[in-house]
Amino acid sequence: MAGKPARSTGGRFVIEAEEVKAMAKEAGVSAVRDLLPLLVPDAKRLARPPISHYHVAAVGLGARGRIYVGVNLEFPGLPLNHSVHAEQFLVANAAAHGESSILCFAVSSFPCGHCRQFLQEIRGAEEIEILVTADADPAFRPLASLLPHHFGPYDLLHKGAPRLLEPHHNELGAVEAAKDNGTAGERLERRLREAAEGAARASHAPYSGCPSGLAVADGRGRVYAGSYVESAAYNPSLGPVQAAMIACLAVGGGEGESESGEYWDVAEAVLVEKEAAAVSQEATARIFLEAVAPSAHLKVYRFRSSAIV
Amino acid sequence: MEAKPVRSTAEIRLRRFVIEADEASAMAKDWGVATAAELLPLLVPAAQRLARPPISNYHVGAVGLGSSGRIYLGVNLEFPGLPLHHSVHAEQFLVTNAAAHGETAIRCIAVSAAPCGHCRQFLQEIRGAAEIRILVTSDGNPSAFRPLSDFLPHPFGPPDLLHKDRPLLLEPHDNEVRLLEPKTAGEFCNGDGEGVEDRLRRAAESAARAAHAPYSGCPAGFAVADGEGRVHAGSYEESAAYNPSLGPVQAAMVAYVAAHGDAGEQRGRGWEIVAAALVEKEAAAVSHEATARIFLAAVAPRAHLRVYRFRSS
Repeated sequence: MAGKPARSTGGRFVIEAEEVKAMAKEAGVSAVRDLLPLLVPDAKRLARPPISHYHVAAVGLGARGRIYVGVNLEFPGLPLNHSVHAEQFLVANAAAHGESSILCFAVSSFPCGHCRQFLQEIRGAEEIEILVTADADPAFRPLASLLPHHFGPYDLLHKGAPRLLEPHHNELGAVEAAKDNGTAGERLERRLREAAEGAARASHAPYSGCPSGLAVADGRGRVYAGSYVESAAYNPSLGPVQAAMIACLAVGGGEGESESGEYWDVAEAVLVEKEAAAVSQEATARIFLEAVAPSAHLKVYRFRSSAIV
Repeated sequence: MEAKPVRSTAEIRLRRFVIEADEASAMAKDWGVATAAELLPLLVPAAQRLARPPISNYHVGAVGLGSSGRIYLGVNLEFPGLPLHHSVHAEQFLVTNAAAHGETAIRCIAVSAAPCGHCRQFLQEIRGAAEIRILVTSDGNPSAFRPLSDFLPHPFGPPDLLHKDRPLLLEPHDNEVRLLEPKTAGEFCNGDGEGVEDRLRRAAESAARAAHAPYSGCPAGFAVADGEGRVHAGSYEESAAYNPSLGPVQAAMVAYVAAHGDAGEQRGRGWEIVAAALVEKEAAAVSHEATARIFLAAVAPRAHLRVYRFRSS
């Protein structure tokens, strides 16, 4: 790998399998996974860490050959647990694209304990191979070697319960219906609600039984949605707002290298969560939007009961 | 000769969250172990019973030995109605408890379950973290103390971001905190009310001075007053990895629980918080006010919160 020039994803957060193979060939690497560390330096540019200015990028390979990029995000004005780590971004990005597993990833610095824990939500996490480009002698090593004697879903859930990246079909019961008299605003609200509902159905929340989803619309009416992802260790859970911001960037595309924070173009948002939830996201979603997109309007739809599937 | 009755450590009932050094030595002798470190795993079940995890019902107890010879307890806390990042892990509780008592180093910790990655990361904020020895009682008998570096090899932490002379968690901090608002409490001038507000402000201010926030430069402190007028305060504790940071509200709740000890009836009544104070930086890159309001709305809706701000020099 020494001496191979760095490659660029051209600002994109997903690269389809065919193009991945072509890039690998052009880069002169025999195994596709050896392309990953070459993409890390350029991908760091896409990170948005206005508090630390410490850019992290993670580039991962899915089971069917797609490449996903993850970068860290920070949100000034909010407590630090609103931050998104590159590894979390990578996984949420993959989930948003229907990916079923992450085989390996290259990352610019050693994953912190929070991320090593978050990754446990994926079935077979121990075998995910990780290469750290900042390492003295970078090589792929299994996650098990970075978090020995682990704690995770295997300690709390039964084997058949879906893990992160596996299909979830949470039953939401009755969700309050939005009015739709056909106005543009109401059509957008219906699209937002449907997207947020879909995200709540796909949400991984087996510990609290409180799945949720949040959808945002940008100034041009494009809708992006993210699902709440729960961690067995609770605190490393990824909020639905964070998941929506990831979708905004990863699906919408990351133009520019702005760290100004005003770049988050959110005009409207809809949160779908359980009524009287033991784990409620509403108030936190509101303070997030007040800090990040103060003119955005948030609407909340609640469902009565849910069955986690 | 009478056979000595077999004693079970299950009968140990701990009421307080700190055991002084001489008492620890006496207990060790009483239970036939040579060192205070060997006493720690025996106390874990008793610590677990003090945990307050109403969401998971998964009780975690952690018992740690400080360099002072004191033993500290830690338990997990969960707060229904709030996102899970408001939770406090037993290991975080233990460290915060130790910090509040002026402890400068944790030598070893016995805990009921393997620390999660979030905690292994949080512990990195302590100088010499790699050498903190951890024993997991669920590992079975006999279980050995192993260094934290075994649990988190190739760590990311303060040495990656800070100069080695910067104070780390458990080391003295003296952040510059000069409040902007006038120092007298407020509109109400009845004897008790004024006293509590002033005490809350002073406690939160002192906690902000002691806070560990080298990454954001935004130290903060929080104080709560309970139904008996006692004030409990906590300092914001930042993590190099950001997300595992312990909010000042959570730190104050640790102080509250540690002060109430094993007040069984207290647990049944929930959190009795009547007033609170937050001290944080003006226009902070990391601000806790809105989150503190959300917390109180869920946990103590009638509590009144005052926010005092300081400007950075």
